[in-house]
Amino acid sequence: MANILLNVLIAFLVGSVLFGLQRKIMARIQMRPGPPIIQHLLHTLKFFIKESTFPKTAAMPFYIAITAMLSVIWVAAIIVGPVTQGSLLLIFAIYAIHKIVEHNAGSSSGSPYGKLSCVRAVFSAAAEVPLFAVLIIIYFKAGTMNIAQIISYQAANGPLIYSIPLAAAMFFVLILSKAPYSPFAITKGKDIISGYETEHFGLLRGYLMMSESTAWYMLLWVFLTVFIGGLSPLWYLVGMLALSTIVGFINATTPILNPNHSIMTQVSFALIGIVGSLVLLLY
Amino acid sequence: MNETIYLLYILSFVLGSLLGLVLSYRKYKAPYAIGKIDIMALVLAVVGWFLVLNSILITFIPTYITITIGIFLLSMVLGMRPGYGRNETFIGIIVAGIIWIIRTVIL
Repeated sequence: MANILLNVLIAFLVGSVLFGLQRKIMARIQMRPGPPIIQHLLHTLKFFIKESTFPKTAAMPFYIAITAMLSVIWVAAIIVGPVTQGSLLLIFAIYAIHKIVEHNAGSSSGSPYGKLSCVRAVFSAAAEVPLFAVLIIIYFKAGTMNIAQIISYQAANGPLIYSIPLAAAMFFVLILSKAPYSPFAITKGKDIISGYETEHFGLLRGYLMMSESTAWYMLLWVFLTVFIGGLSPLWYLVGMLALSTIVGFINATTPILNPNHSIMTQVSFALIGIVGSLVLLLY
Repeated sequence: MNETIYLLYILSFVLGSLLGLVLSYRKYKAPYAIGKIDIMALVLAVVGWFLVLNSILITFIPTYITITIGIFLLSMVLGMRPGYGRNETFIGIIVAGIIWIIRTVIL
């Protein structure tokens, strides 16, 4: 229990600081001073002391339950990942539920912006094709879906990023799609205000933001663990900083794509990645 | 235990940044400091980076405590309001880096 709490705290704090770092990097590239690095964390904590209001159009109790669900699934991801090093399939299932939460959070609020985000979340489910393909490619290569065994495989045979680099690239695109301001972040495009989060205020918004920070940490953790191997906490931090910096550079220099273009670009990446990875596995 | 220490470092970074942010907003009213060096921030940055990179030199305190204090001090400068603390941080990294190089490579 203490181990779970410890990992959840680390995930939340590191995820929040990394989001803040991303905003800082984006700002510096765009010749702005940018917010302090802990801005995202302060922003999240601020919502816990704000008044919580509920729109008349909200579908109760679903509107509230969805925020609890988002928090619970990412705590579950921490238990499956850093704490027990369980199955990658469970991480995939958690990610799939994250998509469901995205579109249900949008639709349950009754706001037109939330509903548009909900439609986009369903639409962007096509972006999950790469994740599923990545899992299959990892299974073909390592012969297991268990994270602990994948770490052992890499200890014996070298990091998977060298043998299946295109699968790693596909997973990176998926990570990119979850970053705020990314070219693929269509569910939270500024044309629809804050997307599915628009009508969640106060405490509920705080929990949503907290879960997103944890989700960001977990996605980076899975990438580093599955493609590089089991690392010490310091190297995890270095890897996460490096990935967040790269994502910050990409986000600062690219606009948010039109939803059609976003999906087509991700599917194109997936197609190249799947075919390329299969070719690499065969030869 | 290992993860507990890293949580300590992260908390130290967050609290240091928060304190640095609050104090720098009280101290400075203008949005930028171009070409100016804050001596207090410079001392904090140099001491902080020194403690983090060269904690092994301080033998009478456990390393994790030295690093926690170092992170707290350097994050106070790193977390100052936007437009402040950058030059001091760079100088801190350079000074601590030179000492680290002298300690590990030259000696």
